[in-house]
Amino acid sequence: MSEVAKKDTDLKLLAGAVLGLAIGLVGLFLGLSSGDKAPFLGWLWGCSFWLSIAIGMLMLVMIFRVFNSRWTPVVRRQLEHGLAAFPWLGLCFAPLLLVALFGGDNAGILWSWINPDSPTVDGITVATDVLHQKKAGYLNLYFFSLRIILYFAVFCGLSHWMRKVSFTQDQDGDPKWSHLGMKVSAIGIPATALALTFGAFDMFMSLEYQWFSTMYGVWFFSSGMRAALAITILGCLFLLKKGTLTGIYKQAHQYDLACLSLAFTVFWAYISFSQYFLIYSANIPEETFWYNIREINPNTGETSAWFWVSMGLIFGHFFFPFLYLLFYKNKINGGRIAFIALWILAFHLLDLYWNIIPGREIVPGAYVGYEARPVLGFHLFWGISTLIGVGCLCVRAVRQSFNSNVAELIPVRDPRILDSLNHHE
Amino acid sequence: MDIKYGVAATFNSAKDIYDAAGKVREEGFKNWECYTPIPVHGLDAQMGVGRSKVPCFTLAGGITGFFTGTLLVWFMNYYDYPLIVGGKPYFSMIYPFPVFYELTILFAAFGTLFGMFFLNRLPQHNHPIFEHPSFGRTGDDKYMIVIEIEDPKFDDEETPEFLKTVGGKSITMIRESIE
Repeated sequence: MSEVAKKDTDLKLLAGAVLGLAIGLVGLFLGLSSGDKAPFLGWLWGCSFWLSIAIGMLMLVMIFRVFNSRWTPVVRRQLEHGLAAFPWLGLCFAPLLLVALFGGDNAGILWSWINPDSPTVDGITVATDVLHQKKAGYLNLYFFSLRIILYFAVFCGLSHWMRKVSFTQDQDGDPKWSHLGMKVSAIGIPATALALTFGAFDMFMSLEYQWFSTMYGVWFFSSGMRAALAITILGCLFLLKKGTLTGIYKQAHQYDLACLSLAFTVFWAYISFSQYFLIYSANIPEETFWYNIREINPNTGETSAWFWVSMGLIFGHFFFPFLYLLFYKNKINGGRIAFIALWILAFHLLDLYWNIIPGREIVPGAYVGYEARPVLGFHLFWGISTLIGVGCLCVRAVRQSFNSNVAELIPVRDPRILDSLNHHE
Repeated sequence: MDIKYGVAATFNSAKDIYDAAGKVREEGFKNWECYTPIPVHGLDAQMGVGRSKVPCFTLAGGITGFFTGTLLVWFMNYYDYPLIVGGKPYFSMIYPFPVFYELTILFAAFGTLFGMFFLNRLPQHNHPIFEHPSFGRTGDDKYMIVIEIEDPKFDDEETPEFLKTVGGKSITMIRESIE
């Protein structure tokens, strides 16, 4: 691609980012002035899609590092470019944190527990709710803000190090960078695991602070890994099609990435089902309401539209990709694997939607005192604009990293590079 | 008394056997095998060997296991001795799901293990190839192609000649003694 065309794409992405985020910000402003939660939910949903992918990529890079794996350096380099998106993701999350800190009366607009005067579905306020009082040592604004900053510090710091060790080795070829990469990863994996677990608790689970599930962090991890693998496969196929990775990205790499996709498809289903299964078996009202509002209208007991989204996740996010990826030909054929990678990404988006959007909206006259938020609404509109805005911003950062002279196309002086180039099934 | 098993030819390098294997495949032989001291990458494809059939056994085992589990729970908890446990229905796809998937995994593992043994005919106590006087060297520095007498295209005179033309050395007829 010529320099002019590169600049052109860059400008288009920047325009997309500015437009998408501007619409999202207008939404946040309108929401803040009218007390409407929808733009905030949409913003969170749009950001979390890209954040989950970036976290998955960071985990993949560190897992490849810590196992000192032979086949991965060629793929790892493409993921390292992907990590360039993290600081931008932090920036995109900032508005939510700023509103929580300086939102005044509307500080609790997204996370209702932030405002002690927020009414609860039981007709009391957060301050008098024993379910919040018991958690107040953890769920309080200052500790929360500190944690959010800490999570992004962990993500950005580790991605900076993973990029640094790899890119510096390109220049001096010193094997000590490989060792350092392994050591940083050995500490980085548990650190990231903690950050993403508590991040999922804070950002998504605390939307309904009365609800709790210890599997929630693992769910976020497994979804992020699935999405990151799908993006990795699509990215490598894109570079292959452009001719950049011809003769480098081989069928064997493709096959192994697809096998990992299959493994994490099963893992995602295992975690998601286990969470449902434990809550279903225990049958405690504090936990079951979370699934009830994703299945039925709580006032009438009738099946709601969310039920069909839930069914869509079971069959579309698990059964279909699982059965599809069992077949060898579907894993090695470029078109077939690209199709399922796009499919997984689409359903990952739906999975996040299903996890973030439904909630209990207090309606005084209602039989149970609240209504479940519907599937379709303005949150979808605000969400899609944020999704596009953050997406363009991240893709632009990754492209800039890829097109700059910061690193070679593949880690040419990595001690494992020959193993990776000669990888075979 | 003894019977013929097949004709063996040795090669000195991975490249030689790789090239020769391609020619044997092109000639249309079906019952033949390569013996090498090291893994030679791409030799399977060169020999025209397709992918393993073991996954079919795994899938069949998995499906059998899933329905065995379903039937087990349905029979015991719904049909033979209906019992309410924890307020759950007699039979549903949710509460006994761990039983279903555990049996799916167990039977899939059985399918894989026994399917593999069925396909590679192990355990096998002896093999006629061991009668070859220097078969042990295929674990050291020699590569060997053996075309079995079972092969429809096998011919007592032409096959050894053919192996010689593709670069084979020490052409030997392997004979299996039977008592």
